[in-house]
Amino acid sequence: MKWITREHPKIDRIACPWLIKNFVDNEAEFIYVPADKVKDQAKALEAIPFDIPDVEYSHHQDKCTFDYIIEKHELKDPALQTLAVIVRGADTDRHDIASQASGLWAISAGLAYNTKDDYELLQKGMMIYDALYSWAKHLQKEKHTQNPVDHLFIDVFNKFIKQKALQKKTPDWVKELKQIIQDQVDTNLSLTDISKSLDINPSYLSREFSKHFNNLSFGEYIRKLRIEKAIELINTNTYSLTEIAYLTGFSDHSHFTRIFKQHTGKSPSAYKKDRAKGKADTKS
Amino acid sequence: MKWITRERPKIDRIACPWLIKNFVDTEAEFIYVPKEEVFTKANELEAIPYDIPGAEYTHEGEYCTFDYIVKKHQIIDPAIHHIATIVRGADTDSFQLAPQAAGLWAISAGLSYNYNNDHEMLSIGMKMYDALYSWSKYVQEEKHIWQPKL
Repeated sequence: MKWITREHPKIDRIACPWLIKNFVDNEAEFIYVPADKVKDQAKALEAIPFDIPDVEYSHHQDKCTFDYIIEKHELKDPALQTLAVIVRGADTDRHDIASQASGLWAISAGLAYNTKDDYELLQKGMMIYDALYSWAKHLQKEKHTQNPVDHLFIDVFNKFIKQKALQKKTPDWVKELKQIIQDQVDTNLSLTDISKSLDINPSYLSREFSKHFNNLSFGEYIRKLRIEKAIELINTNTYSLTEIAYLTGFSDHSHFTRIFKQHTGKSPSAYKKDRAKGKADTKS
Repeated sequence: MKWITRERPKIDRIACPWLIKNFVDTEAEFIYVPKEEVFTKANELEAIPYDIPGAEYTHEGEYCTFDYIVKKHQIIDPAIHHIATIVRGADTDSFQLAPQAAGLWAISAGLSYNYNNDHEMLSIGMKMYDALYSWSKYVQEEKHIWQPKL
């Protein structure tokens, strides 16, 4: 059959064709004409007029034409009932009756604004109602738990827990990072350089870093390694403290002294002296 | 530029391409791959990874990737800020943020159910965000009342 209505459709005159085509008359053909031509053209083309006053397929009290079609053709699919409330809410400006009505209205009003050709608009609208129907039928209870961050973090966390329980293994990138830092502790290693070589965003790396490095920040960890290396070098008795400061990546001696004291409670020279004394004591 | 993210987009991975294409990089090309492959492929193809943890362009606290792009590229169009709230509401299951969020979610979830091809989904989604943008920019105040003039 042919079905005819007013031009410039927005909600009901898109939703009804979708409903008719899918549930009432799959051979349906739709015609949009100026409002004052609908009745004449309906006669001339033997088309069923819809969504205009004083015809059978129209609004009845607070129900819209979509509702009337469902009632008239006794369509029992519960998803259609859900859809009907949304369409009615969007079509009659009663967005309170269904939480999806405001979104349907916004998208439909925008589509109508962007698409001046009614038939092109109908085609786009059909996809929107196909989507709403699939949602109502299959996904209505589904939450959007797609928050990628939460999800991936949960994944990573689960892996982390499993690894810990099973083999006490650390993630590959953490091992790799430990290696990089160890190898380059004497250079001016920065988080940005590292993030480049690991292909991880610097701010993300910085956030994740302390989780895997005993709650130490990147800077703290580097300093800890440098001091450990400094102690090792002092123990070899091969280098002067100035050389050691240089070898462990400190820019100057006083910086080295300050950090060393923070970590060990002693200045490097005091440490060296005590060590020599300790050695002497053991010998005796 | 090429922009790459996880496959099976629904909200943010459709809204972001729309935003990028229209406001950031008109030459943008979008690639969807399984999530484990995003970073490897990003390297290989010299593409910018987005909407995946570990990338610069991703969720930040309660804000989604769409918000991050708006902030980073200093987009000041009020219609975009409006859409950002709707997208955030739909993407993070916080429908109370904007009245339109629940509808956007229902339609997007349904589209994703109906279209298994990510690029087909993207092309329809682009039209939907074009519509939301026009609504926000030009017809937001309009009410729909049934008053057919005869």
